[in-house]
Amino acid sequence: MSTTFIFLLVIAFIAWYLSYSATRLDRLHHRVETSWANLDALLQRRAAIALEIARSEASDPAAALLLTHAAHQARDASVRERSSAETGLTGALGILLADVDHVTGDNERALISELRELTEKIKMAIAIHIDAVNRTQLVRKKPLIRLFRLAGTAPAPVIYEFESDAI
Amino acid sequence: MPLSKKRIGIVCPYGWDTPGGVQSHVGDLAEYLISAGHHVSVLAPALSETDLPEYVVNAGRPISIPYNGAVARVLFGPIAFARVRQWIAQGNFDILHLHEPAIPSISLLACWAAEGPMVGTFHVAAKRQKVSFAIVPFLEPVIEKLTARIAVSEAARETLTEHLETDAIVVPNGIYVDKFKNGRINERWSGNTLGFIGRFQEPRKGLAVLIDALPEIIRAIPDLKVFVAGPGNPQDALDLMNPELRSRFEFLGRISEAEKADFLTSVGLYVAPNTGGESFGIILAEALACGASIIASDIPAFNSLLGHGQFGTTFESENSQDLAREVISLLKDPEIRKAKAQLGKEYAQSFDWDVVAEKIFDVYEMAMVGGRSVTLSSENRGWSKLMGRGE
Repeated sequence: MSTTFIFLLVIAFIAWYLSYSATRLDRLHHRVETSWANLDALLQRRAAIALEIARSEASDPAAALLLTHAAHQARDASVRERSSAETGLTGALGILLADVDHVTGDNERALISELRELTEKIKMAIAIHIDAVNRTQLVRKKPLIRLFRLAGTAPAPVIYEFESDAI
Repeated sequence: MPLSKKRIGIVCPYGWDTPGGVQSHVGDLAEYLISAGHHVSVLAPALSETDLPEYVVNAGRPISIPYNGAVARVLFGPIAFARVRQWIAQGNFDILHLHEPAIPSISLLACWAAEGPMVGTFHVAAKRQKVSFAIVPFLEPVIEKLTARIAVSEAARETLTEHLETDAIVVPNGIYVDKFKNGRINERWSGNTLGFIGRFQEPRKGLAVLIDALPEIIRAIPDLKVFVAGPGNPQDALDLMNPELRSRFEFLGRISEAEKADFLTSVGLYVAPNTGGESFGIILAEALACGASIIASDIPAFNSLLGHGQFGTTFESENSQDLAREVISLLKDPEIRKAKAQLGKEYAQSFDWDVVAEKIFDVYEMAMVGGRSVTLSSENRGWSKLMGRGE
């Protein structure tokens, strides 16, 4: 009698633990998705600003060409190529921002300061996203979660490689 | 600030009516956000209902427990948990901001009970303790619900990575720079003087280190005076020292915010000999805003706040001889003092609430992507129904 009871108790505990772990993992996947959505939106905005800067008087024809090219590449890149394309845009913007003191004109200055603010936000968004991805990968690696396939069909999140120092 | 007004819930783990860094940070932040037009509710334990600002919701009487080398007034337990759940269910918040969610407190309870956009701020910088091996497995699933984490300093961030293997964005504590930048020079406190502010009876504030350094400093600078401000009984401190030193000291007791600005602006050198337990050092940010020359111990928080010696001088913590050497060379060289103080005053602008609160709000916005609002988590919804307290 008592062994059956203990057996049932153990089963109940395992069932609870599995459902708890599944919820936990689900939350983590959600965190990865929202943090990516956030980062993606910010990067899109950065590409848009880069295009505007390319069209403005802040950039000479060569810089304009470089920026336009990099911005379009970043916008059209597939997920796989995304990080290298964004790093390319970062590089192009970096060259421009290196001698920002020459920039005159209110419109141009406003664009540059908007870009600065955006860069700060992107840094934060990257940190948030990478943390979510790391945690998710860590939890997915747990033996029990792998054994019972609690991750289901959710694709394993990949680290977004970003040269965060460069931006 | 933003065009859309948000409903923000902030949880402060420590007793609202006991003075402390976290409490004043939460208070200032809440007031800033309210003045920007947001709806803010702060849940905090408090000893009495009276004198609470309108935006504070009392969670119950705090209990004193020893934590991290000091006595913390916190609150937990089933009744507190029920209040936390009720506050979350009724608050209809767009975002929750939990302060110090990794200690046993209502912040941790709120993190456990809620689901949705949540931001946690970690204030403490502490060395890794043995008990963390036992605690971390319980904490991890709770802490990982936070959408984004903020650490108040590099030191706090390192603590977090070390203990919980998770990264954080560094956003410093805020001050109202305007209150400090126009302090007036009071002749009484200026000249070859040293200033000290804090509860000087607490050993970790390091007044003893300064007292040990004094004889050597006085030998080089005979007209030196020391002014100590802050609550405490001066007699206890005076008993500790050599009778010849007593005449050099003047204890001012607790001083007002306005006096503090004048004090920091006037003193020849502000001394922060703290031996540890600081995670940010708000007083140094205030001193920088006043344009004070600073000498501080090289504990991690102070080191990073002073830009590793750029905006103030550091000495080896708990080393009185090193302190004496640095004080003498600084008091004899007004040029270098002025240069560092000038740099520091400009740098202090980055601690202004206008900058800090905007940064915190940026983090909120990132956490709120997806448009979900804060609800009780599924486990807790089930529990509430079981107890006949359905929403």
